[in-house]
Amino acid sequence: MTIHNELPPLVRLAGAKRSSGALLAAALFAVAITAAETQAPFRERLSRLPFKIAYETYVNDNWEIFVMNADGSNPVNLTQTPPDGTKICFVADEGEGRETVRSLYVMDVDGGNRKKLVDHAREPFWSPDSKVIGFLPQEYPKFNVIDYYTTGMSFCDLSTGKIVSHPNSANLHHLYNPCFAPNGKWVVATVHAGMGVEHGILLIETHGNKIINLKIPGCRPCFSPDGRQIAWGPGDHEIAAAPIDLDSDEPVVGERRVRIKDGPSKIYHVDWSPDSRFLCISRGPDGKGDLTRPGTFQGACEMVGVHAAGWNLCAVSTERDGVLDLNQATDADFTMLTTNGLSNKESAWFWPNRKKENH
Amino acid sequence: MMYGARRSRRFNFQLRNIRRKSTELPTLKRAEARAPVLMRWLLVIRRVRCFVSLAGVAFLTGCGRSESDSHSGARPEGASSAANTEFTGPVEVVSQSGIEMVYLPGGEFMMGSDKGNADETPAHKVKLSAFLIDKYEVTQEMLARVQLPNPSHWQDSPRKPVERIRWREAKLYCNERSLLERLKPCYNEKTADLDCDYAADGYRLPTEAEWEYACRAGLDRPYDFGQPDKLREYAWFADNASDRTHAVGEKKANRWGIFDLYGNVSEWCEDVYSPTYYQESPPVDPHGPPSPGKDVKRVMRGGSWKASADMCRATFRQGQRTGDTDACFYTDYCGFRCARRATFEELQVLKNSRKP
Repeated sequence: MTIHNELPPLVRLAGAKRSSGALLAAALFAVAITAAETQAPFRERLSRLPFKIAYETYVNDNWEIFVMNADGSNPVNLTQTPPDGTKICFVADEGEGRETVRSLYVMDVDGGNRKKLVDHAREPFWSPDSKVIGFLPQEYPKFNVIDYYTTGMSFCDLSTGKIVSHPNSANLHHLYNPCFAPNGKWVVATVHAGMGVEHGILLIETHGNKIINLKIPGCRPCFSPDGRQIAWGPGDHEIAAAPIDLDSDEPVVGERRVRIKDGPSKIYHVDWSPDSRFLCISRGPDGKGDLTRPGTFQGACEMVGVHAAGWNLCAVSTERDGVLDLNQATDADFTMLTTNGLSNKESAWFWPNRKKENH
Repeated sequence: MMYGARRSRRFNFQLRNIRRKSTELPTLKRAEARAPVLMRWLLVIRRVRCFVSLAGVAFLTGCGRSESDSHSGARPEGASSAANTEFTGPVEVVSQSGIEMVYLPGGEFMMGSDKGNADETPAHKVKLSAFLIDKYEVTQEMLARVQLPNPSHWQDSPRKPVERIRWREAKLYCNERSLLERLKPCYNEKTADLDCDYAADGYRLPTEAEWEYACRAGLDRPYDFGQPDKLREYAWFADNASDRTHAVGEKKANRWGIFDLYGNVSEWCEDVYSPTYYQESPPVDPHGPPSPGKDVKRVMRGGSWKASADMCRATFRQGQRTGDTDACFYTDYCGFRCARRATFEELQVLKNSRKP
């Protein structure tokens, strides 16, 4: 699931047109605010944010999309009570077994105006201007729950409904978890057993044929909205964040600045807060799904459509460099956002009403 | 070409001339196209005689090999009462979807070894029903045909075996291939382990006993071809594979006409792995111990591109985690081949085919 945010990359735009003096003053002010904020418990700080988090969860034998406040309070089922906001795109499965059809939908964040965009598609991702939804077509018509079951890349223009293929689509194979760079220049995605790569994270030029292997281990990358960092999962038990220069023609990932670790639990599905300061992560035990749950599949439980018993969402601060072990973290840097264990995963931050405010 | 409509759709497979010289029948076909009518009849008669001769030799000698090859363990008995007296050796067949298989009549053999690793002991007598087993490991082009994603590390040839495939996905392939040929799938996809219905006529993974029976090819020794120094002729393994897989069928087949059993990729079997199973294994059609639920390992058999010669022995056993909880299953020596029970009707086809 991804959210249309109408959100400018705040830091980059804020600094771009100001003098260095004004920038310095703004920076000092920000440091003072941050110092005061970090003294408060992390959850309390999150409660003051204007953001919300949407996520998938499995309730009453069905997959649902919930939205909650940034501190985990007030979880709301979108199909029941509409909150404010703009748009959500998501996938839904219909049918059984290999006859299942996974389709791509978009709806207002209040649950209204639900519209199917395309069948046999998955892994939707928003363009920075929120006018286009990218997605990965399914490799074959017959269903498979495996995450890299894709071929090519396509874009759907929401204003016209027209779908076009990526110019290099014929050479894109077995990608998953794509994400636009905030500058629109790149799409980052994981590849598994495709494009001559055993497993890797690739930068794919949005409007061209260039492909750069970032040479970082792991999967599921996500750019910070300010365009300065990339977060990803180097393994099942670590989320890392590192600097990257996306305006470069040959972006390179720098040293890992933040390493979030969890020995006993898997940690996955990292997503940046709109202000590029916090991460939402899903967290839970190893599992292969539960076929007694209707509408679910068997596979590694971090995959979309696989029931993940005991999985919850947590928020983590990335303001301090270094290693953060979630089992020893204090409430200064970390808090659980859900605790019911109802297969809560694939979160996406958003800023409700941001579009209206901008206008 | 691997697939196509070149075979009869009436039955699930057809008899092929066993170990025919590859040029013989195609040459006749080419000549036939240009021959006048009388000559055509002569060619047809010659073709029938050639076919009967080849098939007869194969049935009588067990794929044309000398019976003097230190024969000891196996005593094929046939799959059903109707066929018991008809088939005493392996028969190559082609499935309805064009996949080459080998029919193995049931029989008794000594499974395991008292001279190998601890989990290979004790050597014990096992009796098996007749079954069909793939002549080659499942290739990447075969996986694409049933619309399953190719997880393999080495994708430079569609004729390379599938690897990095989870046990569960291998079973999904079996079901899809069954559906393709209108057979009853063996695996229940609504159960966590895809429980196997051995009575169904569809494809499944071979049991460990079936795999070893096929590999031993009637002989009670580590390699059916004899001395270990010949292994290079029969298998891609650590000493000759150059750290990668190779297209199937490039090495010599075993005595029963089955390729790559000793190497290339190791092969999933249906059974749960237990190092002590041979101490309690039933004597007839063993299917392995019951699943312990968590942390289960399944049997993998046969050597691979990264295996030592010792690991390529016919009796060598290994257990492998199935990779169900792992989004990235990197075990790039895990492949498989399919087996299935031979039905009474199919045996009748075989039986009738050998008569002029």
